[in-house]
Amino acid sequence: MTDTKKYLIEIETPDGALVSSEQHETVGKKYDVSVELPEGYVVAESGEVEAPSHAAPEYVEPMLEQKRQHMGIKAKRIISNTIIYIVLIAMSILWLVPFVCIVFESFRVESTWQVGYVIPKQWGFDNYINLFTKTDFPRWLLNTFIMGVAVAVLQTIIVLAMSYVLSRMRFRGRKGLMNFMLVLGMFPGFLTLILLYKLLSDLHMTGNNSIFGLILVYIGSSGMGYYISKGFFDTIPKSLDEAARVDGATRAQVMFKVILPLAKPIVIYTILMGFMAPWGDFVLAKYIAHNTSKGMNVAVGLQNLIASNATLSTNYTMFCAGGVVVAIPITILFMCLQKYYVEGVTGGAVKG
Amino acid sequence: MKQLEVLDYLKLNGWQRFLYNLKCFFCGIPGWFVNLCKKIGRWVKKAGIAIWENLKDLYLTLVKGKWQTKVSFLIMGFGSLCYGQVLRGVLFLLFEIIFVLYMVFWGGSWLSLFGSLGKTPMQKDVYDEVLDQYVNIPGDDSFKIMLYGLLSIAFIIALVYTWRLQIKQCRINEEIMASGKKVKSTKDDMKSLLDNQYHKTLLALPVTGIMIFTVIPIIFMILVAFTNYNAVDADGYNNLFHWVGLKNFNELVNFESNIPGVKPFSVTFGEVLGWTLMWAVFATFTNYFLGMFVAMMINKKGIQFKKGFRTILVMTIAIPQFISLMYVSKMFASNGIINGALLNLGIINSPIHFFDDQANPNVARLMVILINVWIGIPYLMLIATGILMNIPADLYESAKIDGASGFQQFGKITLPYMLFVTGPYLLTSFTGNLNNFNVIFLLTGGAPVKTDASAVGGAVGDTDLLITWLFNMTTGVSGKYYLASVIGIMIFIVVAVLSLIVYNVLPSNKNEGDFS
Amino acid sequence: MATVKLTDVKKIYDNKVVAVHEFNLEIKDKEFVVFVGPSGCGKSTTLRMIAGLEDISEGTIEIDGKVVNDLQPRDRDIAMVFQNYALYPHLTVFENMAFPLRLRRFPVEVEGEPAEGEKEPVENKEGEEDSKEKKIQYVKLSQDEIYKRVTEAAEILGITEYLTRKPRALSGGQRQRVAIGRAMVRESKVFLMDEPLSNLDAKLRNQMRAEIIMLRQKIDSTFVYVTHDQTEAMTLGDRIVIMKDGFIQQVGTPNEVFEMPDNLFVAEFIGAPKMNIIHTELVNEGGKYSVVPYGTKIPVDGYKGELLASKNVESQQILLGVRPEHIVLTAKSNPAAIPCTIQVNEMMGSELHLHVVTDQGGEQLIVRVPTIDLTPAQRAAMVSGAKVFITFEGKVMHFFNKETEISLITDNENVPVATHKDETDDVVKEEQPAKKSLFAKFRKNKGE
Repeated sequence: MTDTKKYLIEIETPDGALVSSEQHETVGKKYDVSVELPEGYVVAESGEVEAPSHAAPEYVEPMLEQKRQHMGIKAKRIISNTIIYIVLIAMSILWLVPFVCIVFESFRVESTWQVGYVIPKQWGFDNYINLFTKTDFPRWLLNTFIMGVAVAVLQTIIVLAMSYVLSRMRFRGRKGLMNFMLVLGMFPGFLTLILLYKLLSDLHMTGNNSIFGLILVYIGSSGMGYYISKGFFDTIPKSLDEAARVDGATRAQVMFKVILPLAKPIVIYTILMGFMAPWGDFVLAKYIAHNTSKGMNVAVGLQNLIASNATLSTNYTMFCAGGVVVAIPITILFMCLQKYYVEGVTGGAVKG
Repeated sequence: MKQLEVLDYLKLNGWQRFLYNLKCFFCGIPGWFVNLCKKIGRWVKKAGIAIWENLKDLYLTLVKGKWQTKVSFLIMGFGSLCYGQVLRGVLFLLFEIIFVLYMVFWGGSWLSLFGSLGKTPMQKDVYDEVLDQYVNIPGDDSFKIMLYGLLSIAFIIALVYTWRLQIKQCRINEEIMASGKKVKSTKDDMKSLLDNQYHKTLLALPVTGIMIFTVIPIIFMILVAFTNYNAVDADGYNNLFHWVGLKNFNELVNFESNIPGVKPFSVTFGEVLGWTLMWAVFATFTNYFLGMFVAMMINKKGIQFKKGFRTILVMTIAIPQFISLMYVSKMFASNGIINGALLNLGIINSPIHFFDDQANPNVARLMVILINVWIGIPYLMLIATGILMNIPADLYESAKIDGASGFQQFGKITLPYMLFVTGPYLLTSFTGNLNNFNVIFLLTGGAPVKTDASAVGGAVGDTDLLITWLFNMTTGVSGKYYLASVIGIMIFIVVAVLSLIVYNVLPSNKNEGDFS
Repeated sequence: MATVKLTDVKKIYDNKVVAVHEFNLEIKDKEFVVFVGPSGCGKSTTLRMIAGLEDISEGTIEIDGKVVNDLQPRDRDIAMVFQNYALYPHLTVFENMAFPLRLRRFPVEVEGEPAEGEKEPVENKEGEEDSKEKKIQYVKLSQDEIYKRVTEAAEILGITEYLTRKPRALSGGQRQRVAIGRAMVRESKVFLMDEPLSNLDAKLRNQMRAEIIMLRQKIDSTFVYVTHDQTEAMTLGDRIVIMKDGFIQQVGTPNEVFEMPDNLFVAEFIGAPKMNIIHTELVNEGGKYSVVPYGTKIPVDGYKGELLASKNVESQQILLGVRPEHIVLTAKSNPAAIPCTIQVNEMMGSELHLHVVTDQGGEQLIVRVPTIDLTPAQRAAMVSGAKVFITFEGKVMHFFNKETEISLITDNENVPVATHKDETDDVVKEEQPAKKSLFAKFRKNKGE
């Protein structure tokens, strides 16, 4: 046991005073450290401690079969891929056939009635010309286009306002409002038309003017379709709002300067959906237009062309031509904005 | 029923677990109802307390308030105007004036007739001495009475609420003045509408729209279910209809037919409802699983032209549905291209009736489901692709190391993950299919027609869903609006009950975060 | 520039959960206060209440002597740095930092020569006090002024070269700097930081910590900093507020909370590895105190013994706290030696962390031994199962009441009294006094 010299801890404060630790008796005095080794350990000659020896784990030879399996996997993969290719190609054909048929039939001149073959014997634009001159098709197109633009603009405003509020603000009655809309959505929306039709016809917004009535019907309840865009807004971190508010933005500024610029995909998706709604809608348009040809959209108009067996025989190829005319611009628009659509749809499905 | 301990539960095999869960679910229903009743009880109690508090508050305000506030009890907005809140004051006052004018000139008379829905029928061919001809003297219009009566009630509720609001504000203003601060000016109000009251600004338009275009029509529709509102009555005029109480609903539980060979309405309704449910189940799940398989095939490692296949499928989404549906419907018509081609090739001698009036109901139903698969797969493929790509690859890697085969990987990883993530989507798509008007109406129009269906609801076919049936009821010559309303309410009940069950069973709601 | 005063602040969420109980604190001008505690202790909630991002359920918050309860965040003159940086992804770094400057008006003294950034139309803001000598006007900053301020801040933070980039092109540390820069340019009265370093990796965190200390010397502001990391709290704070379950546990300088923890929670929370707690008896033999951990009698000498004597503490069962670094290894022959067996030996380089089990009582203790104190042979002998002897001195001991877990030697001045104002509280207090021993008993003590 050696007695080491003890030093006091001294600290000099800025004003020059010396603070030293108070000397006191310690229990330890300064003992050496003792360690007792457990059984099996020995101190070697070098002074190092040696651990008791253990048996090494057995090395297990990998099975030879694995190699054989590997070959099997490769062959299997080729077979399964071939099957998949066949299925996919068959599917692609199955999916494309009706659309190819409709295009061919729209150019058929020799018969306006359905025939048992696809490729026309006599090609021509007769059906298209007839469609634009002998029917109200231009009017239907115009109606639908006007409605598409109006709905795209107004519905986007409403849906974004609704989903933004429900996603990014907390206020009294928020949960209640959401539940209320959920329950409302369970009623078949079509039924409201019984009343709305009467009201709108009193306001002269049906029949020939039905685009005004239809626009109102489309956008009137569009606030209830907030789910997908709310799901998107939910993914934008809340701290962005908070940072902006601390930085001096009002809530309106937060929306327009921070969140909406970030929500471009969903804004485009909402516009796209709004524009496409009147092109595909059938039931509302049929109810409001009420058999007035000038008030129809393309869907009702084209359906009207072939509604009865009597008109079917003369109008069938015209209907095909109409389908092509409608489908082409919509498809092009859709394919251009496909990215946003996919984002919206998958996001919406995941978020519910 | 006895709850199993967690460790006991782990001892069960898959089938026993399923039974156990099912049992738990059904045994939970009474408790659920009890909870619901308790909840309603609490709400009622809460509402009662709130009303009582409001009344007390009103009384205190009346007794203790300044004269401006007291005048506000009669003239809305007076207090606000006195305190310099011009905008609020003017709006309140305007609202009151409009209300009074409306009530005096229109609302009052509508409201007084609301109980009877009108008594004077239209008088036809009455000799008018002045005009010297026979004219029709219009009677009471029940539709308008009901509608404007409803609006008047809504208006009254709105007035009471606003009246209460402005009195409250008067009181708050008094308190603010008493503490020596300034009351909020119109400018402050406008500012706060862009800041801490911004939600009101944003909600104003959407909620107004929903109120006018959904809430009021739905209430109206519910009321119609308790009347005998027909498009055409015996004389060809229908201005007058009456409250009939629960008579329309009685039809649903009346299983005796008074015409031989024709089923009672209740049975027809049951048949249509059954097919609607069957359709929704098949349409949802066939699309879901087949779409998922297609997505997995396209996304499989080593498959080339992924983008090409995907584009072909996505393109079919882009083409408006009505075009494809109507075209396909004509393709399969008895004189359509398919039958034409088959006849030309000599495979068949007479056209196959896929879904016209001579078709076999089961064939028609099968065709509808198949064509719906054709319509729906691309859409599901798109969704599934997005989700499949999000499944963490290490899940599959660890499964492979654990020795799972391809099918096991699908069953144990892909499927649970998909179900978990798309649970809510499945629910909405199911309810969407219950009301899938377009596919049925454009494809078959409900055909083949049931020959033994009850005449009460008009013609109905084997592929008709409740919603298309409802459409026919309201658009046909004899618009049976009262019956349509009843069916609408039934659809609501079906959707609500199913949603509730599915919502409770869905894994997404139970084990939140399992996969996150 | 500004003081922050919280008086009886309380936060109750909609689901009746009380996140913060009566919170009383006065933050002095230019002070750096750190809120620290485990997650869910209410520290972030308190900070967010100061920022105005959460409503204040009860009590008042004053900034610079002005009650701000009903003010919007933007009217409170505060700047805040968020945990996940909260940079605007669609704006460049420059625009991110300029964002707060573009949105608000800044006070400018106008008398004599016009101040910088006065080229734009000057507007008076309503409701602001105008003193007679100096007229303060609120103006929007000119582009030049914004440019100047942003580049200055960027210079200080070393992010000048990234000014044209979007946030997603930056690394975590750079993003954090931008976030700090965005808060800096405002030159606001109070600087709030909500776990700003917890998204960074360990190395970067140490570096940024040092930078915050330097930054603090450059910005004359009051700082409120929230963290769950006690190291950050100890190194950054002038004062530390330790919180748990919505209650303040202790407020004090880093030295105070380390040396004289007010209760067991603080003692265990501050310091790593955490303090060893030994159930033992404190014996008072005529003013001479001793403890008997695991049958070994160790006298309490030095100033801790004097403190006990001055408080006239009686013999009782206590919780004895000793930090791992204060336990020393000793010889078997030492009468104050506690025999233990090593379970795990963690070699940290400069020191060994020994997890030992006492032979008597079989309890686990952690001992930190400087490697340099041991001979190579001793170091090699520290294997699992080896027997060592530990002891500690009186001056390193912490004494806590066994029931209330409150320190027997501190004055408990800083500990705010935790009083519930609920109606049911009195009943609860009567029925189950021992349930929440810490606070129930504590209140009793204070009441008497």
